Amino acid sequence: MKYRLIHRTKYSYEGAVTVSHHLARLAPRTLPGQRCPWHELEIHPVPVGRGVHVDSFGNTTAYFEIEGKHEALEVTARSLVEVFPTQHPDARSTPPWERVRDACQLEKLTPGSEAGAFRFGSPMVPLGREFTDYAEAEFSPGRPVLEAVLGLTNRIFRDFKFDPRATEVSTPVSEVLKKRAGVCQDFAHLMLACLRSLGLPARYVSGYLETAPPPGKVLLTGADASHAWVSVFCGESAGWIDTDPTNNLLPGERHITVAWGRDFSDVSPLRGVTLGAGGQKLDVAVDVIPVEEL
Amino acid sequence: MEMFKGYNPGKFYDEMFGTDGAVRSHCAPLLQKFGKIDERDFLARKANSELYFLRQGITFNVYHDDRGTERIFPFDPIPRVMPASEWEHLEAGLTQRIVALNLFLHDIYHDQQILKDEVIPRFYIEQAKHYRPEFRGVDVAADTYIHICGSDLIRGADGVYYVLEDNGRCPSGASYLLENRNALKRAFPGIFETLGVRPVDSYPRDLLNMLHHISPRRDGDPVCVLLTPGCHNSAYFEHCYLAREMGIDIVEGKDLVVVDKFVYMRTTRGLLRVDVIYRRIDDDFIDPVVFRKDSVLGVPGLMNAYRAGNVSLANAVGTGVADDKVIYYFVPKMIEYYLGQEPILPNVPTYLASEEADMKYILANLPELVVKAANESGGYGMLMGPTATKDEIAEFRDRIIADPRNYIAQPVISLSTSPTWCEGAMEGRHIDLRPYIIYGKDVKIVPGGLTRVALTKDSLIVNSSQGGGSKDTWVLRH
Repeated sequence: MKYRLIHRTKYSYEGAVTVSHHLARLAPRTLPGQRCPWHELEIHPVPVGRGVHVDSFGNTTAYFEIEGKHEALEVTARSLVEVFPTQHPDARSTPPWERVRDACQLEKLTPGSEAGAFRFGSPMVPLGREFTDYAEAEFSPGRPVLEAVLGLTNRIFRDFKFDPRATEVSTPVSEVLKKRAGVCQDFAHLMLACLRSLGLPARYVSGYLETAPPPGKVLLTGADASHAWVSVFCGESAGWIDTDPTNNLLPGERHITVAWGRDFSDVSPLRGVTLGAGGQKLDVAVDVIPVEEL
Repeated sequence: MEMFKGYNPGKFYDEMFGTDGAVRSHCAPLLQKFGKIDERDFLARKANSELYFLRQGITFNVYHDDRGTERIFPFDPIPRVMPASEWEHLEAGLTQRIVALNLFLHDIYHDQQILKDEVIPRFYIEQAKHYRPEFRGVDVAADTYIHICGSDLIRGADGVYYVLEDNGRCPSGASYLLENRNALKRAFPGIFETLGVRPVDSYPRDLLNMLHHISPRRDGDPVCVLLTPGCHNSAYFEHCYLAREMGIDIVEGKDLVVVDKFVYMRTTRGLLRVDVIYRRIDDDFIDPVVFRKDSVLGVPGLMNAYRAGNVSLANAVGTGVADDKVIYYFVPKMIEYYLGQEPILPNVPTYLASEEADMKYILANLPELVVKAANESGGYGMLMGPTATKDEIAEFRDRIIADPRNYIAQPVISLSTSPTWCEGAMEGRHIDLRPYIIYGKDVKIVPGGLTRVALTKDSLIVNSSQGGGSKDTWVLRH
């Protein structure tokens, strides 16, 4: 599938901002199953300085700074992306989950798998007994790792209610587990806490989802949101496999990967510092528009 | 000798007297000089040195104390004396250590070979509070991370020096080392002339040379500044002092601005480009764009200029991973791994609560051990088993079990003592030593360091925030 992506972020400040500095992770990654032939970042007011670097997780990170009084900041990321169909391995053929766990205890991993860094707790994903207790039923002894992961994906989907009012960005995972409600970021963090508490490497993936329009209606502009899911290391031959607990499926052509890290704090799409203003109002709109021909 | 009559070196290793009560030979000339001074004269000179500290405004700040925050750092006029051979041994050991620590940091922030070879379990690095994975792959000036290190040394009852910890972020105290010497020179003029004491006054010059060495700009004189969190920081006096001694500007975050990946200082004549920042502000607060968003002390955009190589920081970002007391445990292994050498200075034996066997040992022996949180300093977050109450021990047991990664335990090392004037008599008080190691073009260590003394009888805690004072440290030429 090919998509045109437009991600608009607008900050309206109370009073004038004199200086602002921002980091943006809005450029889709280039992966075996994904291509990004074109990406641009339009910024108003025009920055006095800007640059791009690749962070330690391989995400393209843009940096920009604005000098001079401004009362609003508008950042528009436009991209063309092509996502190819994914061949998922047969879940039953993947190795027992304990074997993956034990292999990852050692440092003898395939170069480039980078599994090591994603086995532990991170700023927004603590580890703990409560998470292994929750996941235990799916991770029975000897169960193929992908089968267990699918089981956990399904369990979270079943047990948790999607409710944007239930949580905020800063709600701890332990509270999400108690509330049995949250949004995609919460479910991704919860699943990471479960997998890592069991000793499996798993990373947080941020990106977009092409939300299917209701039958008979055209796709509404702005209805597609930033999305988050999880990628699990399933052993050397299967490698990293993505799974989406919010939608209970393995991502395919409708998931567009932008960045990954240990948790949300590594990949927030836009973060920054402003000097001078009081409060601020934030508007975000994302359009994922399927295109026939690129 | 009057004042030292009846001095009891006790059961500890005393720096001046042997167990038989005889003066150690390298201290004999000093004692002879002091012998000519009677108590009244001594007290007058002591008062003179105290007045000096007061007039110079040599203070430090204590947080969370009702008696006011700004204090005079207590000074004991009896110096700690070290023969040349002893210092050579320490100098070699400290040099070996800082070289290994820098190789380690470069490795951790690049290929992580030491983790791949399973010398250090990855878990400890990834879970280190001050590890900065954001900066993996970023090259820093001269491939050096720790440019200034304050390593704490203690001496056990066996007379052996041990490294207690390394401070590779923003070690403080060097100004006291310099001012202690000045105060003592005023109180006892002439005493230094014939004793062959090595001077310490090269420190600010060594520091400035190092800052110049790491400058990214090769044409003309680099502009160096000292970045302070401000006057509420515990070491603000020192920040002002060192900036003045080096002849560089002292700035706060708001005095610097980043424009298109270069750092500038606001001056009355406009913006001036800055090449090197001697930062006395922790990573967490240095740039709110990348680290703590609520920090108002830092410089927005600084990390981008740093990443682009347009400004150098001393110390580099991410050195805190080496300060972690769990990582400290691995320093001897680093020395063997990177240098293929035996460590010259041993660590204090250390137990890691995350290792099963160590955990068992720790829980079974809490009343005999010192327990430390992996990322606290200044004597905070610590349990002294032998003097702790039952409740305190129970509380630490719970904390260790809840978060084993963040606790270590060590046997109580009975620090060496030094004669110290205590309200009318000379008594032994426990001391440690913090040398300051500067890693620029080469490694420079000012002879000696800051000797801290626990002024409370029998106390082993020398931190200034916990009632410690300091002494002048003499390294002899011979």
